[in-house]
Amino acid sequence: MKKILNDPQNYVDEMLDGLVAAHPEIYAKPAHRIITRAGEKTKGKVGIVTGGGSGHLPVFTGYVGTGLLDGCAIGNVFASPSADQMAETIRAVDAGAGVLCLYGNYGGDVMNFDMAAEMVSFEDDIRTASHAVSDDVASAPRGEMEKRRGVAGMIYAFKIAGAAAERMADLDEVARLARKASGNVVSMGMAMTPCIIPQLGKASSVIGDDEMEMGMGIHGEPGTWRGPIKPADDILDEMFDTLQADRPLGKGDRVSVLVNSLGATPHEELYILYRRLAVRLSEIGVDVVMPLVGRYATSMEMTGASLSILRLDDELEDLLAAPANCAFWRV
Amino acid sequence: MEITSNELKAALARIAEHAGENREFLCQADAQLGDGDLGITVAEGFSACAKLDLSDDVGRAFFEMARTFQQVSSSSFGTLVATGLMAAAKALKDRTEFGPDEIAGLLAQARDAMLARGKSSLGEKTVLDGLDAQVHALEAERSGALMETAVTAARDTVEKFTQRPNQAGRARIFAEKSVGLPDPGQLALVVITEGLR
Repeated sequence: MKKILNDPQNYVDEMLDGLVAAHPEIYAKPAHRIITRAGEKTKGKVGIVTGGGSGHLPVFTGYVGTGLLDGCAIGNVFASPSADQMAETIRAVDAGAGVLCLYGNYGGDVMNFDMAAEMVSFEDDIRTASHAVSDDVASAPRGEMEKRRGVAGMIYAFKIAGAAAERMADLDEVARLARKASGNVVSMGMAMTPCIIPQLGKASSVIGDDEMEMGMGIHGEPGTWRGPIKPADDILDEMFDTLQADRPLGKGDRVSVLVNSLGATPHEELYILYRRLAVRLSEIGVDVVMPLVGRYATSMEMTGASLSILRLDDELEDLLAAPANCAFWRV
Repeated sequence: MEITSNELKAALARIAEHAGENREFLCQADAQLGDGDLGITVAEGFSACAKLDLSDDVGRAFFEMARTFQQVSSSSFGTLVATGLMAAAKALKDRTEFGPDEIAGLLAQARDAMLARGKSSLGEKTVLDGLDAQVHALEAERSGALMETAVTAARDTVEKFTQRPNQAGRARIFAEKSVGLPDPGQLALVVITEGLR
């Protein structure tokens, strides 16, 4: 294992300490493994809370910030935080207008957020709404959305819900927009080398030197096929065609696209993918608004990339373009 | 005899002791099909609950147990137990006691809440099959030897399901291997119920 760390047991906590030390104007850590925005809460603003396992920065914690999220409950690498931590985060961000729990669709996180919502309702009378983003088309067919995992596309839901909350929309409206953004985004990823969980010290799966795996999840969940590495254009084409088959785009559609590195893949290679994506989109007459290219949702040192496409309308485009600020994304 | 927060506290102490004794047994059963931490979740969860200074309001007392169980373990088994305790908390809010004849109904509510949260069904070889058997056995036996009835129902469930494959949770991945192995969650329910006696 080649990782920069001290004790693997302290991986998550030392990461959080560093994050808060580097960006004290953005992040605060009011309690163990809970990150909120720095500064005062805006009274009457809907709070947005996320949570999940560590190992995906900037997801989840990184997207706490103005025009984005209000708080995050942080688990061990690839492990859900507890319902109690989530409940504590909900309490920490509640400003009297209720709290939206917005996170990725993983069994443990869903169970724990549902439990947390029940706890704050019982004890604190805080109203909550909840949505688990499920944008990974490789993880289950469209007919089984409840089985699809949440991956990079969830940052669009964070951005759009966050912008609505910043404009003081009420809880039902913020939840509606989060669900709308989530319903409009699809993603597909591929990997070439796996990642290493610090406490295990070795990779959870092995991909051969000359192999890639299409559709692999951000925790190394099995994909749709494994085989020899293909050229960048072929990789992009397969990802794009899969997304097109799932949710077809047509002439005149407006989209935002995210070409995301899973960690180790450099910007250079992301732009090689983007070059082909631009051709494919222009061929069918789709307009691109605010393209994102970089590390937005990772799996530590995994080599690979994902493509997410968000279909826009006026309402979503307006919220996507609204100001936002965190350490990893500024609009 | 009505059950108050004092009886709950005494029951938690007995469960915690018995779960502590069976910690390794449950971990070993779990290690065959999962990550092998079930004994730790059950032993530490009840040990932490036994240390609570429970509220007199029994609904509130069950809430305190649910919260404590969650603090100790974020594993899905821990969340399921907490979900069952939370169902009892809601049913008993603002009361200082409840009767033995209410136990079957409370267990049924816990079972239903846990099924909903785990998005699972009966018959998948999980702890919920044991709980369901206890509900039916206790409905037939509203007074008298309730504890013996519940222990027998939990043990019979383990026996009945051992030769079947697991169809839920992480053990599902080992469906074939799980044939012939007792379900760790169902064993945990036996341990918890034995502790109640």
